[in-house]
Amino acid sequence: MALEVQTHQADNGVTVVAATGRLDVSGAPTLREAIGEVVNTDGTPRVIIDMGGISFVDSTGLGSVIAALKQIRNSQGELRLAAPNQQARVVLELTTLDRVFPYYATVEEALTGF
Amino acid sequence: MGTNHEPFEFHATFADLEEGLDVLHRSVDDLREATGRKFGDRPLMLFETALAEIGGNVLTHGYPPGTTRPIEYKLRYEGGSVVAWLSDSGPPAHEHLSNPMPAHSSEAGRGIAMARKLLDELGYERDGQVNRWRLVKRL
Repeated sequence: MALEVQTHQADNGVTVVAATGRLDVSGAPTLREAIGEVVNTDGTPRVIIDMGGISFVDSTGLGSVIAALKQIRNSQGELRLAAPNQQARVVLELTTLDRVFPYYATVEEALTGF
Repeated sequence: MGTNHEPFEFHATFADLEEGLDVLHRSVDDLREATGRKFGDRPLMLFETALAEIGGNVLTHGYPPGTTRPIEYKLRYEGGSVVAWLSDSGPPAHEHLSNPMPAHSSEAGRGIAMARKLLDELGYERDGQVNRWRLVKRL
C-alpha cells in the first residue's frame, strides 16, 4: 500500500504530518517530500509525525525519519513521533533509534508541552 | 487456539518494486492465515521485517537495466520454521553481508544488519550471475 501523507496544524501551531500506509523503500520519498515542504514554509518547525496509520516500517522508511529530524533540527525546530505500532517500535528499538526519537503513544500526548 | 503446523508454500516472480513489496507482504498475510496466527504475532512480525529488508534490497538492486530474468521468490513453512528464498540478477552482495549497524545519524545501511538480528539464519551465495538469499526463522 503506497504511503499517503496529510498535513495539518494543531491549535498550538505544531504541524502534524499524518502518514498512512507502509513507510518503506517505496513510501519513504513521500514522507521526505512532505517534511521538505513543512521545513520550507515554517521557519522554526515543530513537527509531529503521526504514525498511527503506518502499518509497516523498514530501514529506508526509518532513514526518511532520520532525514526529517536533521532537516528540522537544522532549522532549529523539533520533531516528535506519535503512535508507532508494535512493528515500528521494534524497528526503533532494534536499531537503538528509540534513544534518539522520543515517541509518544498518541498525538495528544505528543502535543502536550510541545 | 493453537497454530496450524501444516506445510505452507508460496511462489512468485516479480520485477517491479511496488508490486514486489506487495507480494512479499501478502505472502506473510497468507502464511499468517494458513497457520492460524494472530495479527501482531511477534516471531512472524520479526520475520516479515527481515523479509522486507532483504526483499527491498533485492527489488532495488536485483533487477538492473537490461535484465530479463525476474526476481524469484519462494516462501515455505514446515515443522515450525519459515524459510524464504529470493534470487536476483543484481551485483554481488558479499561486501555488504557483515556491515555493522550504522551510526544513529546515518540515513541508510541498516537493512542487512537488521535482518541478521531478526532471523535465525541469513544465507547468501553468488551462483554465476545470480544472488541467492535464504532467510530462516523459527516461529
